[in-house]
Amino acid sequence: MVLCDRGGEEVEVTCEASQREVACLEHAGKPCELALEVDADTEAEHRPVEQMLIVVPADQLSGWTPMPAPDFVLPSVRGGPLGLAELRAGGPVVLVFVAEECPTSTLALRRLAPLAAPLREAGVALAAVFEDPPEVAARVARTTGFSGTALAEPAPYEVSRAYRLEALPTTVLVDRDGEEADRRVGWDAAGLEELLTRACGTAIDVTRDAPAVKPGCAAKSTYDAATIALLDGGADELEDMFARGWTDGLPVVPPTRERVAAMLGGRDPGLVLGEVPPAMGEATLERVAACAVLAGCRPAYFPVVEAAVRAALEPAFNLNGQAVTTQPSGQLVVVNGPIRHALGLNSGMGALGPGTRANLTIGRALRLVITLTGGAAPGRLDRATLGHPGKLGFCIAEDEENSPWEPLHVERGFAPDRSVVTVIASDAPLSISEHRSMGPEELASILGWAAAATWSPNWWPLGATSVYVICPEHRALFAAAGWSKERVREAMFAAVTRPARELQHGETTPFVLAADPDATITKWTSPQEIVVLAAGGEAGRYSALLGPCLGMQAAVVSREVVEST
Amino acid sequence: MDYVSPFDERRREAQPLAPRGVALAGATVVLLDINKRRGDEFLDRIEVRLHEHGAQTLREVKEIFSKPAQPELIRRIANRGDLTVEGLAD
Repeated sequence: MVLCDRGGEEVEVTCEASQREVACLEHAGKPCELALEVDADTEAEHRPVEQMLIVVPADQLSGWTPMPAPDFVLPSVRGGPLGLAELRAGGPVVLVFVAEECPTSTLALRRLAPLAAPLREAGVALAAVFEDPPEVAARVARTTGFSGTALAEPAPYEVSRAYRLEALPTTVLVDRDGEEADRRVGWDAAGLEELLTRACGTAIDVTRDAPAVKPGCAAKSTYDAATIALLDGGADELEDMFARGWTDGLPVVPPTRERVAAMLGGRDPGLVLGEVPPAMGEATLERVAACAVLAGCRPAYFPVVEAAVRAALEPAFNLNGQAVTTQPSGQLVVVNGPIRHALGLNSGMGALGPGTRANLTIGRALRLVITLTGGAAPGRLDRATLGHPGKLGFCIAEDEENSPWEPLHVERGFAPDRSVVTVIASDAPLSISEHRSMGPEELASILGWAAAATWSPNWWPLGATSVYVICPEHRALFAAAGWSKERVREAMFAAVTRPARELQHGETTPFVLAADPDATITKWTSPQEIVVLAAGGEAGRYSALLGPCLGMQAAVVSREVVEST
Repeated sequence: MDYVSPFDERRREAQPLAPRGVALAGATVVLLDINKRRGDEFLDRIEVRLHEHGAQTLREVKEIFSKPAQPELIRRIANRGDLTVEGLAD
């Protein structure tokens, strides 16, 4: 039998274990006080000594010296990655390594469950590290009532290896200094009580219900590579992506080095575009390319993705506020210029809907940069109360060729032949059905009034950008009347007014509260808050309105697409 | 399989917490309004309670709630106060 100290050095022992309780050991030729306890309730005496439950208080192991507990970052079942450093922020950490298939792990989780609260009150974090995929870890944590932190470590179990696990469950105490201060293997009520009491500095009671001692199972990390490849779906790289948390909830394309290199197309992988809020992860071009691969982009799309990320990281866009807000808003990406055709971006039928790879994956790539590199995982740093489906990705192109108006990028000062990406903080689309208008005034009024309830029916003026996507038939009506985009905007602005008295109740703006009750209040602060885009299929009079993101002072930001490397 | 992580995997040093247990009597407490609706109402109440405990108070206001505080504001708070209470809102 071989024992290792915490440093991995072999400690030679001679063992004459009786079938229970205590064996006398020798270490380095000297007698020592180590104890081997075997489970008296089981057939332990019939098992080879290697399978016996070894309960050795770590600080009693001769030759043992405190060692730093290996750092790690693993997917939390609550979403997003979580590391030992974060767990340690509050004080000591008790790590319990477990696996679904191990009955003793289930026993340990069930019995430790009620201790999570007193440990938390004592400033001690309790975390279960599952040698299982996240969805399995989440299920087992739920069914056992385990209320500590649950982390998932699917194959190939690098963290388990770093901790030199032999068996599950294994409980490790990481002290305030980040050193492993204690370790217990299997279910050992008395030993765990010692460990937990030591962690808390106050007495912690661990139930002595039978069995008080129970051996566990071999850690999955101890198996050979071929066996491990069959565990946890480890051979399925799509499942592996979920296990790593490299997803927005949908399957992704694994970002292999080859795919990322192809996405970069010779660009400098180390080029830093900026820090992505809210966690301020550094957006190297390589990480952005990894997100583009995950999103399903073709390499040809990457210049647009890069421009979108650059635009979104402009301070004037205030991505920080957008990424963490309780509002539902996401980031709309508008593409103008010749690259629309080169990439096959859809600005026609179903322009806001599914069906076009370029639209869906470019928008998704930006969102993955924010969610993964920026750490804005929904339910963690992204605090959106509801969110909206466009937060998976929201990219549209303008139908410049069939529009009577100058396209957005030209409005914003770019030459018509340049390819430009514009990012706008926006809410989910609201469809506006209008099939009866005979004149531009009537149509502008109806389109405008659709905005009355955006953000809130009572919140006037908005003070933030609204986006109108005008369909071809509506555009044709305006064009026939010779209306410019500016005139459409001004007509919408002028049409949507209410007397202040009708708004002076409930939650409303300070502007309305201070206004004379007879004063006329507009829905927007100025016509310039309205962005008008041209897109949509030729049949059907359905335009769309994308409500605003408020309170961010989020400017509309445009960046030219740079296609050369 | 060798993948490129989309995460910024750099380890960040955990910032140590400031010492706890500062007595309120005689302390200067900075009340930071993040400039969101009704945050001032919360801080008004807190201010009264702090005065009852013998603390002095100073008020600061962020430019806008949805952006990080300016470094100058953070420096000013750090230099002028023993404690800070930030009033979130909604």
